[in-house]
Amino acid sequence: MSDIDIKRISYLAKLKLPSEKEEFYTNSLKDIIKWVDNLKKVDTSKTEPLHNVTEKTVSIRNDEVSKSNSVDDVLSNAPERAQNFFKVPKVVE
Amino acid sequence: MSNNWEMVIGLEVHAQLKTSSKLFSSSPNQFGSEPNENVNFIDSGMPGMLPVMNFGCIEMAIKTGYALNFKINKYSVFERKNYFYPDLPQGYQISQFEFPILSEGYINIDSVDNQKKIRIERAHLEQDAGKSIHDIDPKYSFIDLNRVGTPLLEIVSYPDLSSADEVINYMSSLRQLLMYIDVCDGNMQEGSLRADVNLSVRKKGQELGTRCEIKNLNSFKFIKQAIEYEFQRQINIIDGGGEIEQNTMLFDTSTGETRAMRSKEFSHDYRYFPDPDLLPVNLSQEQIDKIKPLVGELPQDKLNKYVHNYSLDKEIAKIIIAEKQNANLFEKMISETTVKPKFIAAWLVGDIFAFIKENNLEVNNLNDKTKDITDLLRLISDDVISNKAGKEILPKVLNGEGKPSELVKELGLEQVSDSVELEKIIDDALVGEEENILKFQGGSDRVLGYFVGKCLKATKGKGNPKLINKILLERLKK
Repeated sequence: MSDIDIKRISYLAKLKLPSEKEEFYTNSLKDIIKWVDNLKKVDTSKTEPLHNVTEKTVSIRNDEVSKSNSVDDVLSNAPERAQNFFKVPKVVE
Repeated sequence: MSNNWEMVIGLEVHAQLKTSSKLFSSSPNQFGSEPNENVNFIDSGMPGMLPVMNFGCIEMAIKTGYALNFKINKYSVFERKNYFYPDLPQGYQISQFEFPILSEGYINIDSVDNQKKIRIERAHLEQDAGKSIHDIDPKYSFIDLNRVGTPLLEIVSYPDLSSADEVINYMSSLRQLLMYIDVCDGNMQEGSLRADVNLSVRKKGQELGTRCEIKNLNSFKFIKQAIEYEFQRQINIIDGGGEIEQNTMLFDTSTGETRAMRSKEFSHDYRYFPDPDLLPVNLSQEQIDKIKPLVGELPQDKLNKYVHNYSLDKEIAKIIIAEKQNANLFEKMISETTVKPKFIAAWLVGDIFAFIKENNLEVNNLNDKTKDITDLLRLISDDVISNKAGKEILPKVLNGEGKPSELVKELGLEQVSDSVELEKIIDDALVGEEENILKFQGGSDRVLGYFVGKCLKATKGKGNPKLINKILLERLKK
């Protein structure tokens, strides 16, 4: 079984993990992986991969415009607003 | 020093598709609107909203497939590429990963002495992100989500490019093709076409080196600058005994330098998985075949037609096919007149393009003037007016100051093509020129030019030079 880097996983998921909880979550994830490893024992060499349980194809629409929400609708949940922009703590790459 | 080094480049080009609505929502796909004007709850990533595929995007992808010689895949799958950034409210970008809609294409580009085939690994559909504006407030970023969900086709080449010039040629050929098939407006300044450059260096003949990716270049000038800088940067590191670290770089347009993006505590892992909100795309052969006729004539088809059917010089034909709107204007004129295409082409790439450039116009601005233009060209090619007079009238015609025939009359530019009248003028001009006539008959051709000039002057420049020439020769040979 692969090692679990709990710090990296919580970073990627943007979750703050208290250090005393790290061991608990590491073990929980290990249990999940153990279960997946069990599944891997099934011989699937002759099975086509399936990306969706229904056999259907994606539903489509024609390329037509309709406006369903106003700027105010869209900004109504914004943590902060400046004119018609969302205002967020500075993030620069 | 850098003579022993060569660069190896692969390109990821993002082309915004010019559909009316977005990839998975019916919000307008439009540049330049007021902030957050073109956003609905799907675009802003509200919980419970479901994406619905815009078939217009599939059609455009298929057209691109035909134009870039791709294998068009009937089966493709949308996946989630997970990362956090304020201008990506869903927390993931919907993209295609393992099963893209197009694979294994190529285009031919002009290289140093001949054509070079550039292989393209794949092209896939994905959503664009929003825009963050960092320079309004020192502490805050301002987010505009208008661009969220704009359909992108990401076109990923193999590392077949080996100089900045080749990259520029590849990029402009792509741009030309995408504009011809009407799937992208090609406006690089507005970000409709952007490139990520993957570059590594190696000593000639050696194995591939470690590559760095320069993100988000949106002009030919910046692409060239970034490549030249990055090439030298990597050589300097290796020459100094160092090693290249695989990195994502940003190009600073003010300094012309590349720099690594702020290093991350952990490397990225996008944790792709098939988007449970979207079923796989399953196209029928019939759906794909139906798109083929919509591709239309490609630049190479037009080039062949212009050279072989219309007898244009290749260089002139290339200028006309460079932009689809040039070709459209040219073909519209051909369809409206019996003046020879070659004659039209010469005026088009000469005085007409010069006029467009001087007046900061678009080629399309002349679409409703083609009849007047070809009427004028008819007058010139029929020798009703001289070439020189044509050049004088053209700007007035293009400015809409009048019909060509009226302008010719108004300005008194009608050419004298009446041979009786011209014969009289020529006879007068030859009076007292016995010495020169003898010179001509003794074999001095230069004297002919002198006589033509003299006769033209006598007609105040309005005499038909061809006719004058002809009559003069008859007279002088007597």
